[in-house]
Amino acid sequence: MDTLAVIVGKLISFLSKTLHIGAGATWPGEVALSISPDILSILLSIPKKGIIIVAGTNGKTTTTLMIDKILSDNGEKVIHNTSGANLKNGIVSSLLSAQDTDWGIFEVDENALPKIIKDVGNQNVILVLLNLFRDQLDRYGEVTAIGEKWRDIVETLSPKTKVIINADDPLLASIGKNKLTHTAFFGLGNRNYYIPHVQHATDSIYCPVCKTKLQYTGFYYSHLGDYSCQSCHFAHPKNTIIENDVQSPLEGVYNIYNTLAASAVSLATGISKIRIEQSLSTFTPAFGRMEEVVYKNKKVKILLSKNPTGFNESLRTVLSSSQKGPMMILLNDRIPDGTDVSWIWDVDFEQLHGYQYPIIVSGDRALDMGVRMKYVEVSNIQKKKQHFEIVNNLSEAIDKAVILTKKTETLWVLATYSAMLDVRKIVTGRKIL
Amino acid sequence: MSLKLTIGWLYPDLMSTYGDRGNIIVLEKRCAWRGIEVDVKPIDFSMSFDDLKNIDLYFGGGSQDWQQGILLQDLQKKGPTVKKMIDKGTPGLFVCGSPQLLGNYYQNIDGTRWEGLHILDLYTVHFGRKKPRCIGNTIIQLTADCFSDIPIRTVVGFENHGGRTYLGKSVQPFGRVIKGYGNNGEDGTEGAVYKNCIATYSHGPLLTKNPHIADFIIKNALEYKYNKDIQLSPLDDTLEWKAHEYCINRFS
Repeated sequence: MDTLAVIVGKLISFLSKTLHIGAGATWPGEVALSISPDILSILLSIPKKGIIIVAGTNGKTTTTLMIDKILSDNGEKVIHNTSGANLKNGIVSSLLSAQDTDWGIFEVDENALPKIIKDVGNQNVILVLLNLFRDQLDRYGEVTAIGEKWRDIVETLSPKTKVIINADDPLLASIGKNKLTHTAFFGLGNRNYYIPHVQHATDSIYCPVCKTKLQYTGFYYSHLGDYSCQSCHFAHPKNTIIENDVQSPLEGVYNIYNTLAASAVSLATGISKIRIEQSLSTFTPAFGRMEEVVYKNKKVKILLSKNPTGFNESLRTVLSSSQKGPMMILLNDRIPDGTDVSWIWDVDFEQLHGYQYPIIVSGDRALDMGVRMKYVEVSNIQKKKQHFEIVNNLSEAIDKAVILTKKTETLWVLATYSAMLDVRKIVTGRKIL
Repeated sequence: MSLKLTIGWLYPDLMSTYGDRGNIIVLEKRCAWRGIEVDVKPIDFSMSFDDLKNIDLYFGGGSQDWQQGILLQDLQKKGPTVKKMIDKGTPGLFVCGSPQLLGNYYQNIDGTRWEGLHILDLYTVHFGRKKPRCIGNTIIQLTADCFSDIPIRTVVGFENHGGRTYLGKSVQPFGRVIKGYGNNGEDGTEGAVYKNCIATYSHGPLLTKNPHIADFIIKNALEYKYNKDIQLSPLDDTLEWKAHEYCINRFS
């Protein structure tokens, strides 16, 4: 049955690619799994050197793409679930196209992680835990509950597994602390990145061991920071790699974390720091993740912003960038975005107070986002003309924003997942998924 | 005379799960736009009983289980004072999970009973994972007597709760479910009204698309505090009502 499943899966994968039918990223895996539910454990043993798994709320796609580039540039043969198909069917689909592969690099959905880890068997594994933030509670559930599931996974891992953990996230750090061997911690370790005020969207600022409020010397964003507990012995672990050690190729503090995680993985595979930096210096972002496109002769930057923390960091990136210009804020409420748009009130849009450029709001829930902007009072308190505008139709909204963008300016597009895909379709003329 | 409201926000960093802050932002701005001063005070571990007594309007949001475990004991201590004030008429808005804590009891997913604050005559039971959570956009028809003067009768929101709530005799339902589950998915009731307090499963930013409810709460709080009739100056709510209408048209 297993051989049959692999053959059928490969055939579907081939047909899907050549004939451009179906969702090639998930469909072959779905069929193979229906023929043989245990197929994943067999497929996961194919890569010769091991598998690399990246889990977390934000940054999975960029981190795995960085690892892919560094390893490939250094002569490793890799496979990678590039289109973000991060559930079991996506990973099976990706493995079905493996041939003579050294490493499998997979981004894995927060809740799918236990099912996938279960199947790794004796394979060599590097597991990265990036961060945990509130995201689509209707779908993912509570942050602490996911953290507990992850804790259970880490406890049961084979001792040779390498675990790479974000030390600035207290919940994740507490998971790694019980695992003394083969754990590497990454963290910013640079006070210059502290934010002046605590953000509203934090989830883990209470001690994961004794539940006392943690003391922070500073926050990098959300609950990521340098912390310690005053009533038990829990404290920030010592960083193995910090911001100063490697140059991030992308703007945004969150991309420094992605760079650190990717570098830590690459170091663990035996690649030197110099070669990592060389490779990253020519890194181009994944679709919709700080992706730059030129549309109607204007520079457009697309930032996927799908939850409060992601949105806060996108705003921080735009505001601190040397590239200035109008901004589009796009809010959809389809299944991949989450049907509940309440979370926009957890985003500190107040950062936009006094923003000098036009703001255009669009998407399925443009009116909800419009109300949010109204209560930010982006222009001023004296009830002069608000300088944000709601344009319901996305194509019209983009056209309008492009006209408002001067030649020397950049149009910043901050969009939820399905809105990001829609924008890409319009500005690149291509459909990716 | 300049007017001022002190809003007490229950444990903002532990009970603010999914956009609940939107309600505070709306109350603050709608007061500020009318020249009413607002002071938002966190009701947390460090708040004294004297400060607690100076609250003009209570607000509570939802909390995740782990976070709820941290604050329960402290809330129990403050409970009698809060109950006394609410019994006398101090207004409050309690959304998402907070009404469960203010009720008579909450029967947890594993069957254990948590004693509530006995402020609202209601109880909540979580029937376990087999019974699906109540998740989705909601439309409510206002039914409680206190809203009889409000011309617009609908409230739009979003609910996401595992527990089912049943009302006792000394509370009225906030409204009747047109779309969604409401308190328990069985009797068509949604939320509860007791004295000047409103409780609802509509989590997150309830007031952002329901300016009539926001102004009802502000007016109520000012009238209770200053013990006289208050007329709020009208605001331009075109955008809020468009967002309200959009939800009615799309989800009903």
